[in-house]
Amino acid sequence: MALASELPAQSERWTTFANTLKKRAFRSPSDSFTSVFIFGLMLYMAWTLIDWAILSAVWRAEDVEHCANAGGACWSVIAARHRLILFGLYPYEEHWRSTLACLAIVATVVLSCLPRFWSTSRLVTLWIVGFGAYVVLMDGRLIGQPVVTTDQWGGLALTLFMFSSVVLLGMPLGLLLALARRSKLPVVRGAASLLIDFIRSLPLLTTLFAAAVVIPLLLPDWLNGDKIWRVIVGFALFFACYQAEVFRGGFQAIPKGQFEAGKALGLTPFQTLSRIVMPQVFRHALPSTINMVVVTFKETAIVIIIGFFDVLASANAAFGTVEWAPYYIEVYAFVGTIYWIFIFSLSQYGEYLKARMAVAKR
Amino acid sequence: MATNIAKIACAVAFAAGVAAPVTAAAKSSTVTAIEERGTLLCSGHNGSYFGFVEVNDKNEWKGLDIDMCRALTTAILGDPDKAQIVPLSWAQRFPALQSGDVDVIIKATGWTMGRDTEVGLQFSLPYFFGGTQFMAHGDLGITEAKELDGGTICVEAGTTIERLAGNYLKTLGIEHTMVSYEKASELRAAYLANRCDAFAAWGPFLAVLRATELEKPDAHIILSDQLSNEPIAAAMRQGDEEFVDMVNWMIAALLIAEEEGVTSANVEEMASNPPNPKIARLLGVDPGMGERLGIRDTWAKEMIAATGNFGEIYDRNLGEGSPYKLERGLNNLWSHGGVLYAPILD
Repeated sequence: MALASELPAQSERWTTFANTLKKRAFRSPSDSFTSVFIFGLMLYMAWTLIDWAILSAVWRAEDVEHCANAGGACWSVIAARHRLILFGLYPYEEHWRSTLACLAIVATVVLSCLPRFWSTSRLVTLWIVGFGAYVVLMDGRLIGQPVVTTDQWGGLALTLFMFSSVVLLGMPLGLLLALARRSKLPVVRGAASLLIDFIRSLPLLTTLFAAAVVIPLLLPDWLNGDKIWRVIVGFALFFACYQAEVFRGGFQAIPKGQFEAGKALGLTPFQTLSRIVMPQVFRHALPSTINMVVVTFKETAIVIIIGFFDVLASANAAFGTVEWAPYYIEVYAFVGTIYWIFIFSLSQYGEYLKARMAVAKR
Repeated sequence: MATNIAKIACAVAFAAGVAAPVTAAAKSSTVTAIEERGTLLCSGHNGSYFGFVEVNDKNEWKGLDIDMCRALTTAILGDPDKAQIVPLSWAQRFPALQSGDVDVIIKATGWTMGRDTEVGLQFSLPYFFGGTQFMAHGDLGITEAKELDGGTICVEAGTTIERLAGNYLKTLGIEHTMVSYEKASELRAAYLANRCDAFAAWGPFLAVLRATELEKPDAHIILSDQLSNEPIAAAMRQGDEEFVDMVNWMIAALLIAEEEGVTSANVEEMASNPPNPKIARLLGVDPGMGERLGIRDTWAKEMIAATGNFGEIYDRNLGEGSPYKLERGLNNLWSHGGVLYAPILD
């Protein structure tokens, strides 16, 4: 009975679809020809991809000898080497720690994206707990496990940690710099402008290279710390200077009248800023901010040049032995998928935020 | 007999009051720092460099250069696992050495004048020789670069190899087209896709590439022309001659051990019953090996027990015992037709 009532609806939908298709793709003979050609090409490509990636692929690490004749992807390399790609040089027996640490970072980032956590106290607690858990797990000293020094941290675990630390440090710093650049005090304003323009005139690679290699030559030993912290601070500074300019764009979009109106209502400058101006700045700056965050995620791969074993460097190492060398395409596809998952989630979250903030405009 | 003479000479020297300058060698500040730290910081790579620096399935380093690091660590600290491998990119290795991020660079690094002078490095004895060579598709049926007339040559962009190959072919009067690629993997893909007839690169790299070409192992031929020969050596900071001595004698001990037939398998036996005075000195049965470097007399014995002699290290990582099957060639001992030799152990 239920089936019978659904049938007309379905056939109706099919007719609509067929009509649309007819109108859009098969209006004239030349249209039809082009459409058939393009659809055919797309089908062919999709089939080739599916055949390569799934149907003719070899999946298990033991079956690697079949790879040469299979004609499809050799996912054995991922089966055998995924722990290297995900965790870099982290000691093999301690991988449960880096797995947990990875989950801690992802959970921290996901939770801080939820509106429920958007208060200063909650966010700060969350971040201290999340990042603390990561460092404690990875380092192992405080939980009585074998100590793993930062030069052995690697893979996806390192990429995620660097990315989230850079954004978390850089975002407030960027806001501070943007505010300093709008300051009425010429010294503060000048210093902020100088810093922003100076850092923005340097390539990221130079900044990171300086943080990793040059700074230790200048600073006394006790101030140096591990290379990873210097690099994160350097990267965060770079991010902050760009983000400051994004925020400045947001500030400039706000009519002067609103500041004056705030003054007329008897609000203090801080109240005007936090209640009237900042919420609008965030809204204006949102698209560019999401863009900055996505770009930063991709740019973390640049740390390979200063000897960090991030997910891409580990991938290079993964196909860097004689038995796995022919399967670099599979490794790159795997790493590409990892990047895609994270970046796609980030940009989808950006869309959600935009929709949420659009409510205020109605 | 010889040991007795040495003892007598030592006694005489002592009696004459000149023992102090002869025996009490100044200890290297780098070695002292390594002993205090308890680990030796050695260069790794930000990825893999076939045969020299690789990472195995258990996320552990291996390769010829890694074994040299482990040998040096055993010599100084007595335990190969105390080597701490710091991942470094090519560009980063020299600044990292200067800033103290590593104690020594053992990373397929060629000894050049610029590095020796302007960069301010100190090089050890060469432990490896590798030169630029051509590899061509086997079905072309050629064996020499002379036969490459009208061919397309692929090279890595911006390297010395690009210039070297161009000059070499020009001297021979060979018409050719040069195509350059940024990355080794692109270069490899282009060559395998028949974009070029031949490809110029570092000899060991070509051999490794040929070995990794699993589908058609014999489909490629490495041409006989040797375009250059680069000595590969360990690089250290200037200003610590004692550490240079340490690294030189580490390499020398590995070579002498091979020359004298001391292997990781028979080292204990040789030490308990040394067949000649040279081996007795090498393995610390007779004193002198360690004292003069400011470390233990048995360092070479422990090192050979842990990593084997140079021949064993080579075979394990590049030679017969490895998938690469790279012939010793120039990298054999002088007595076997190669160019490797050790200074005199007196």
